[in-house]
Amino acid sequence: MSLLCIDQTALPYSMELCFAGATCDLRTNSCELASVMEGLSISTGDALSSGFTMRLIVEDSSEEAAGEPHFRGLHHVVTASFGRSNVFVFDILRRTLSAGVSAAVARDDRFWKEKLIPITLGILGSAMGLVPVHCACLELDGDGLLIAGVSGAGKSTLSVALSENGFNYVSDDWTYIARRGDGIVAHGTSAPVKLLPDAVGHFQKLQRRRLQRSMNGELAYEVDIAETFGARVEPACEPRWLIFLERTHRAESTFTPMSSTEARTYVSSSVEKLPRQLYEARAARQQTIERVALLPSWHFRYGGTPQFAAKELREFVVHAGRRSTYDR
Amino acid sequence: MTDEACWHPDLLRRFVPTPYVFSIGDGPNRLFVESNDLEIALSVRGADVVHRQSSRSGGMLCKLIRDTSSPGDGSELTIVSNGALWVLYLGWGTILIHDRERSELLGFVARNVQIQELVWSLIPAVLGESVQQ
Repeated sequence: MSLLCIDQTALPYSMELCFAGATCDLRTNSCELASVMEGLSISTGDALSSGFTMRLIVEDSSEEAAGEPHFRGLHHVVTASFGRSNVFVFDILRRTLSAGVSAAVARDDRFWKEKLIPITLGILGSAMGLVPVHCACLELDGDGLLIAGVSGAGKSTLSVALSENGFNYVSDDWTYIARRGDGIVAHGTSAPVKLLPDAVGHFQKLQRRRLQRSMNGELAYEVDIAETFGARVEPACEPRWLIFLERTHRAESTFTPMSSTEARTYVSSSVEKLPRQLYEARAARQQTIERVALLPSWHFRYGGTPQFAAKELREFVVHAGRRSTYDR
Repeated sequence: MTDEACWHPDLLRRFVPTPYVFSIGDGPNRLFVESNDLEIALSVRGADVVHRQSSRSGGMLCKLIRDTSSPGDGSELTIVSNGALWVLYLGWGTILIHDRERSELLGFVARNVQIQELVWSLIPAVLGESVQQ
């Protein structure tokens, strides 16, 4: 039997980090892991009022890479394991992540960036008023645009095209939304943009990049949007509109108003059902979802290239979208 | 729409129905046992180690799920402890959680784990009592 006593192990590396607006009090016994985590932290002026703690022990003798994930949860506790040496325990009520990991996983920045940090925000976020929504987020002149849509609708390619069209980039896949005063604030993470192989037909800059096997097994370009496309990245913004993306086969673009009921349904479908033991988190999350649902929302149906869609969307936001926002 | 209307699949298996429910004792020292498996519920209800822990901590909730979809692999026992939480893994599939402050024993029991092993070995281990060989 092996016993991992996290509270009785010396964790000399201590730092305060920030992920999607949530402050993280990290303690670990690994200088290398502390350095990896520090590199992924994004400071923002919109920090949430509550944060979380991470206690991470690295077993230097283990070189086991991250294996197949196995998740379970009951009441306020969620566990995740990625092979025998990599176990994570999330305590939602105490907003704590305790974990033991191998040396190989400790230095695998891709694992933390693409898996563990988004998973942690998804699980513990509910206790911090942070709602993960399956949408991209871009910003133009201080106004945020949430772009939702089913997988394959083109959120990531449109995000890149919009960032080449004057928008600042916040996120392309998962956006973390919290209440702030009477409004809401949307946060991104440092996760890379993931573009499927056919995106190379739209973005020449991808020709210099190599396809990689992504964490879910798909072949894709996983790129830093600032480095590859010269995009300006913002850690957070205040959303003004919600756009629900649908692709059609005809080269056209149409905008039709979307009801708040539809918007609420979509956002609610992004979030995990919470057990009754987490009733406070459930109620707080519902209030955030309500605010997202009250954003001016449209269905955007388009065919053609992402550049065409980006141009149409920009025109709409600058003219009709803004007028509609202020008319409400 | 409320949370109840979400249509996410229950990937964490948080919402597995537990129709076998026992309540033992009265007042603040009451022991609650919930499970989706009658054999587990009856065995935990009768386990001395659970009664001792319940008396010490002024009542206890035990919720254990027989997890037939979980991998029944591995015999390595690992315990992760951090303050109030103790979590026991047997392989990947069996996970027992003891929250000492809330006096809750929660968990998933893989299909290949025998009741005797659960009651005489795994539960004592996660409750901090010596492991029976």
